[in-house]
Amino acid sequence: MFLLGGLFTVQANENPKGKAECIWKNTAYEYFCDTCGCGGNGGSMGFGTGLNNNFVGLRYIGQKYRSRDGIFDNSPWINENFNTVQAWGKLPVGKRVLVNALLPYHSHNRTFADNTEQTINGIGDATVLAYYNVLRQTPDSVISIKPEHALQIGGGVKMPTGSFDAANIEGSVNPSFQLGTGSWDYILAANYGITHRNWGLSALLNYTIKTENSKSYLFGNQWNVALNTYKTYYLSPSISLSPQIGLGGEIFEENKEFSLTVPDTGGEVYFARFGVEANYNSYALGISSMLPIAQNLNEGKVEVKNRVSLYLNINI
Amino acid sequence: MKSIYKFLAFTLLAVFTSCSSDDDATAGLMGENKVTLEFDNSVGSDDLLLATAGYTNSQNETLTITRLNYIVSNFSLTNDAGEVFTYDKEESYFVTSEETGSTEVVLEHIPAGTYVSVTFGIGVDQEKYLQGAEGQGDFLTIAEETNMMWSWQAGYKFLNYEGTFTSETVTEPTDFKVHMGSHGSSLDNYKEVTLSLGTDALVSDEMSPIIHIVADANDILDGENKLALTEQSVIMVSEEKSPKVALNTASMFTVDHVHNGTGDSH
Repeated sequence: MFLLGGLFTVQANENPKGKAECIWKNTAYEYFCDTCGCGGNGGSMGFGTGLNNNFVGLRYIGQKYRSRDGIFDNSPWINENFNTVQAWGKLPVGKRVLVNALLPYHSHNRTFADNTEQTINGIGDATVLAYYNVLRQTPDSVISIKPEHALQIGGGVKMPTGSFDAANIEGSVNPSFQLGTGSWDYILAANYGITHRNWGLSALLNYTIKTENSKSYLFGNQWNVALNTYKTYYLSPSISLSPQIGLGGEIFEENKEFSLTVPDTGGEVYFARFGVEANYNSYALGISSMLPIAQNLNEGKVEVKNRVSLYLNINI
Repeated sequence: MKSIYKFLAFTLLAVFTSCSSDDDATAGLMGENKVTLEFDNSVGSDDLLLATAGYTNSQNETLTITRLNYIVSNFSLTNDAGEVFTYDKEESYFVTSEETGSTEVVLEHIPAGTYVSVTFGIGVDQEKYLQGAEGQGDFLTIAEETNMMWSWQAGYKFLNYEGTFTSETVTEPTDFKVHMGSHGSSLDNYKEVTLSLGTDALVSDEMSPIIHIVADANDILDGENKLALTEQSVIMVSEEKSPKVALNTASMFTVDHVHNGTGDSH
């Protein structure tokens, strides 16, 4: 669940010349892996952010996984679908601080080999994250020739508002088939962005420190890294289109239960990401897809097939 | 000034070291509970599916397995302090059977603790057998019902492994039967194994672990000792071959994982 998002931050209502505030524009690296289901490890979430715009938005995230239902090489694979709708927004506090908040609603389902289906629905884990703008150019000139940089560092908390069902954690099937981790988790995050003319590049690094939940289960800490690049085309003063391409990685430490390492947990997955965002006045509509390039999750017992996201944000 | 930094560094080190202990959850386990051992049969790394497609072993024989029953007995658990809890011998004999699906052994009233290994026998030991038919209690009936007895004089079958096979020279599917036991008291094929659990099994009033054991049926004929069915497809009272089967069978067990918790589901 990382959303990084600068995506929505495209400020289409801005004149193309006034680019100074658009440094995160479209970088939208929305790492969307929202709660559980991420990488088979009870994910966490992060945000990338736009620089100065406030927004509210809705995002749909669809993730497809398959996981081994059993311990043997001929154990059946079962397909798992994670569907999430997130409400989220961003609010600047003072000149250099911004606060992100996110609340997901999940509807996950999976079908076992005997055709029985399991569905879980409900609110997921809410996250609040604050960033401090360490480095940021001020828009002192109308036309900026030189590349502009921005750097934000921040931290936040993910609250156990989603339910965690101990019956779903048994080792042989994806332990992340949950609405929430059931734990208070803490996020450290850094975003860096650079823009030059219509081009932009952003990079992010997040680390989520997870804690043991009331069922004595501890999801492994998680790294998220991403690199994203984009170019903005202005079709008119109020309409722009920004195709994006990027790479992302998620690295999970092993889970623990009763302080004992749970076998077949942890791992890593690397994605290629493709997306496009359209902006019209203060609306941003985006679609993106993440496809795994390389992965080894849960000792190969969980595989990410793909993720898609669709979002609409309104700058306020 | 430097010495103050050193002092601070050592203090911090001490604090972090003392906080790094990860056995908080296992301290103070109280009471007793059951421990479940699941015997999950495989062929190699595949789940064993009776009477379905065959698999080919390293001796180039293709086996279709139709029965895999074996006796496990004399369970004991060793905790992290090296103390051994031995389960009541009277209650410590079980038949696991792939065909009936009764592959769980439930040990009741195990004292709270952090267990690191399990020891059990394959078959019935001479001490038990020499108690005579009346000394066997209900287990005699259970063994008869599950095809695990020849006759009282001949004794228990510790392993009943059957199916059909083909090989380079045996092209028509041909029955095989591997019945291994002690043959009265003249040949003792009872073996014991100790398995490290890998993950500690935690027992308390609230926690009843499941120890998930995999038994690789391929090892029975294709383990350390190689036994070709083409050469002999019925192995029963064989002073030469059945001890080899017994050794192979004793080495087919591994612990795949331990599930700690309430043990209500797995």
